[in-house]
Amino acid sequence: MATAKEKAPKAPKAPKVKKQKEISQSKIEREFEKERAAHLKAKRAAYKAAKKAGTLDDRQLTSEHLGYLRRKAIFNKVWPIFRFLILFGLCFVILYPLIYMVSTAFRPSVQMTDPSVIWLPKSLTLSNIIDTWETMDFGPTLLNTILLNLVCSLLSVGVCAITGYGFARFDFKGKALMFGIVIMQIIVPPQITVIPLYLQWAFFDCFGLVDVLASAGATTFMGIKILTNASGGHYVSLIDNPIVMYAPAIFVNGIKSGLFVFIFRQFFKGLPKELEDAAYLDGCGPIKTFLKVMVPNASSSFLTVFLFSIVWYWNDYYVSSTFFISNHTVALALQKLSATLDQTLFNGAQVGTRKKIVWLESGCLLTIAPILVMYVFLQKHFTEGLARSGLVG
Amino acid sequence: MAETAVKTAEEVKAPKAPKAAKVEKAPKEKKAKGLRIPYERRKALYGYGFLSIWILGTIYFFLRPLLVSLWYSLNVTEVTLGEMKTQFAGIQNYIDAFRKDTDYTEALLAVLKDTLWRTPLIIIFAIFIAVILNQKFKGRTFARAVFFLPVIIATGPVITIINGDMDTSGYSGGADQFSTMFETDMAGALLNFLGVYNISDQVTEIISLMTSDIFNLVWSTGIQIIIFLAALQGIPVSAKEAASIEGATAWEFFWKITLPYISPMIVVNLVYTIVDSFVAPNNAVMTLVLQEASAWNHGYSAAMAWAYFLIVILALCIVFPIVNKFVYYEV
Repeated sequence: MATAKEKAPKAPKAPKVKKQKEISQSKIEREFEKERAAHLKAKRAAYKAAKKAGTLDDRQLTSEHLGYLRRKAIFNKVWPIFRFLILFGLCFVILYPLIYMVSTAFRPSVQMTDPSVIWLPKSLTLSNIIDTWETMDFGPTLLNTILLNLVCSLLSVGVCAITGYGFARFDFKGKALMFGIVIMQIIVPPQITVIPLYLQWAFFDCFGLVDVLASAGATTFMGIKILTNASGGHYVSLIDNPIVMYAPAIFVNGIKSGLFVFIFRQFFKGLPKELEDAAYLDGCGPIKTFLKVMVPNASSSFLTVFLFSIVWYWNDYYVSSTFFISNHTVALALQKLSATLDQTLFNGAQVGTRKKIVWLESGCLLTIAPILVMYVFLQKHFTEGLARSGLVG
Repeated sequence: MAETAVKTAEEVKAPKAPKAAKVEKAPKEKKAKGLRIPYERRKALYGYGFLSIWILGTIYFFLRPLLVSLWYSLNVTEVTLGEMKTQFAGIQNYIDAFRKDTDYTEALLAVLKDTLWRTPLIIIFAIFIAVILNQKFKGRTFARAVFFLPVIIATGPVITIINGDMDTSGYSGGADQFSTMFETDMAGALLNFLGVYNISDQVTEIISLMTSDIFNLVWSTGIQIIIFLAALQGIPVSAKEAASIEGATAWEFFWKITLPYISPMIVVNLVYTIVDSFVAPNNAVMTLVLQEASAWNHGYSAAMAWAYFLIVILALCIVFPIVNKFVYYEV
């Protein structure tokens, strides 16, 4: 085994070593399997030969052994078929809505009521997509969402890592209590805190700063008009301002931040302590150690958390629908799509969902398309990243 | 905080002097002793430094709103221009929620019941799928990608549209259409086929409930499957080897090797599933809370949410120790 001294210069390469070990492990397994198969073959041949010669003794396999081997062989033949059926069925269940979505999004609305059309439409059209694109104002909405998403996710990942490291490697008074609060952040649904938060944002006085500015004669605060409440206090309304998403993200309280802190803490706890000790001995302070030694080692964790953060921010409509009224994100636009379709396509008449399916499904398709594309290319980081990033174990 | 951080940062470098020269430098160290903060305390200070952002944010964005909402739940609230007017009412809101509101207790029981029968199913299903996905076969990567796909989509508004919840007026898409394939008739027909005729209605009902919910079941197991998969990959080769030398069948292998090894993750998944199911924004209680909040009954809505939250905590407190007893930890 490498000593602490040897490990120090290799520090950033640690995960790769782990990977190699895994590969070699599966290789060993394969070799073991081969060896065993060869051995069994020889044994079986010996049994046959012995039976022919009539010299069965203790060295040969018993009939019990043979029965076991036969049963195993049958199982190994039948099981893959069952496995295929099970997986095929369940994959179908999962992909069903997606297939349905694609199938409906590109067919003319008339064909929804045509009983002869189930999966394959008689003709394809792009008009649904175009209509929905215009209704959702998709171009600007998409840009707005991407900007919001990237900024929040980047901030969130950075600060969550810092916090996670603090929890993983330092001992101080009240740590248990604070970690309890992190667990609380995971468990407490946003529904509980969202109303006080709404009030904090809607009547934001920036810890009294707005009052001071207002009494000094200012009419705007950060470009937002200062308002006065019933009891004479001054405030600004930050509703619809992207700050309501950025500020919690930078202070480790963005969407699912509790979970991310937890993941990082688990990951950093799993890294060998020698890494840091080596860095300390070489004269790094804790901050430098964190940046130069721990962060490069945690790159897979960073990527995973970043991807999940993007997905969750993308999908979030609960928090953003509370704070945003006219500031559209893709998820919000989709949420309101049914109502806006009534306005744009049906002249304000209330139309049943049945008539709007094609547009709704194209809306869904547009909404998940960016995430889906990302998922297709980075699939491995999603599925294996979560497992490796230390959430487990 | 920042000042001490800077100060300690300078000091950290000092004790890093080569240890071999310790004897020489001993007198110097004595001089500086009064100024120095002991190593343990310095590390503690750094700990606070690393957590400072989180502490600030949590106080303003989490603890304060949490306490304020607790306060609202004890008050009759009224929204006026620029502030929330409160009038203390004790636990009246809670009493109303449980004794006057017919919807609330009903929704609460529905959610509890739902969680109670769905959680074990989800866990069993996730173990089953994880064991399958852990085997070697062609197209495994694809299958894994598909099973994890719901996690990417299911948290967004797309799922509500897919689920057909968005409009009650007969939306023929997604789950509704799909689950008709597994309706009561099918369960009944299957039982008849197996020669079971006079089975009680309740059992049939439960079976049909499970089968018609298979869509939601599959769609809410993504994370659990991943966690189990990772746990399965952590089973040491030596254990597998030993089992196969001893001639364990796949069945025995599952019960005697797989299950004990992944049991710690069962606890993790159990807690995750329970929390996930309680916190889901589309469950009955959450909808009710939201509905009251948008009707400007903030105090009442907060009371509902808090009562619900306490029940969730209680449920976790009951489940966790019980399950923890059956867990096998490798020493």
